[in-house]
Amino acid sequence: MSDISFFFVWINICKIISTLYLKRKVLMETPVEELSIEEKNIAPEKAKAIFEKEFMPHLDAMYNFALRLTNDEDDAQDLVQDTCLKAYRFAGSFEPGTYAKAWLFRILRNNFINDYRKKSRGPSKVEFEWVEQAYVGEEDAEPAFQADLKAETVNDMMGDEITKAIQALPVDFRMIIILCDLEDFSYEEMAKILNIPIGTVRSRLHRARAILKDTLADYARKRGYVADTLSEDGTIF
Amino acid sequence: MLSEKITDMKKQCEHQGDCMQLIQRILDKEATPEEEAMFLNKKEQCLPCKDGFELEQSLKKAIKEKCISKCPDELFKSIKAKLFILLAIISILIPLFCDQNK
Repeated sequence: MSDISFFFVWINICKIISTLYLKRKVLMETPVEELSIEEKNIAPEKAKAIFEKEFMPHLDAMYNFALRLTNDEDDAQDLVQDTCLKAYRFAGSFEPGTYAKAWLFRILRNNFINDYRKKSRGPSKVEFEWVEQAYVGEEDAEPAFQADLKAETVNDMMGDEITKAIQALPVDFRMIIILCDLEDFSYEEMAKILNIPIGTVRSRLHRARAILKDTLADYARKRGYVADTLSEDGTIF
Repeated sequence: MLSEKITDMKKQCEHQGDCMQLIQRILDKEATPEEEAMFLNKKEQCLPCKDGFELEQSLKKAIKEKCISKCPDELFKSIKAKLFILLAIISILIPLFCDQNK
């Protein structure tokens, strides 16, 4: 067998192995909901063009979301890279004219849930379930408390107090606050990204904000932001 | 003048839970124009609703202004480089296989 023929045989073996591996990896690791994104073959140049035109402008938003989810810069960079490569692979199934940012955020969120949450330094599922139970009322979603917090207090706060309070939220609450307040997604878009009903989006968002306000009120008391109003009865914080 | 206006306002809101949810829907641009108009009118007569609206507005603004992080340049370059390599590999290997199949 000539050297050239041997080279082609070798390449073919590699191709078969890698195809089998990728298919197995896709089936084993891709979440059920993501399999609904059909992988359509398109020319690499076309995929690149879609990627640069539709996906690249959202890189900052993707990184910011990834950073809020992982609370770690290296993990956030890995998460964004994996999301970009996956988006490139599925670029054929992206319909130009649809909202690319929501499409990318859905892939990013699925990647996070499947790969990063397992090794996440953030709160565990058990912790989240505990919080969910703690804040689920009978019928109304309104938590039992009303945070003692004023608009002026929030305005006076430094950035790191707000970011710390968001980081302290359980990940599902953190996710919904970022999607809504920072990225301005509609309830319908958030429902698609998170794969939950709109009613759950509404109630989860409401609870997330209630916990956030409670945490900020606690910071404010500890840091003396509300000392003037609370000192009337002689209480010192 | 302002203090007079405040003393005229209701100090208790009997629908505070519902109003808080409505405030959030208004700020999230999910409320209907009728709901919004009704609330904005009510807000001027109800102190807890006015305070609640201002608080939610400040909170949303603070999150938007203070939780922004820019994608590092290295990450941007790394993604572009990886895609370039991927594209180069595909561009080299596909013609190679096609030629071989002929």
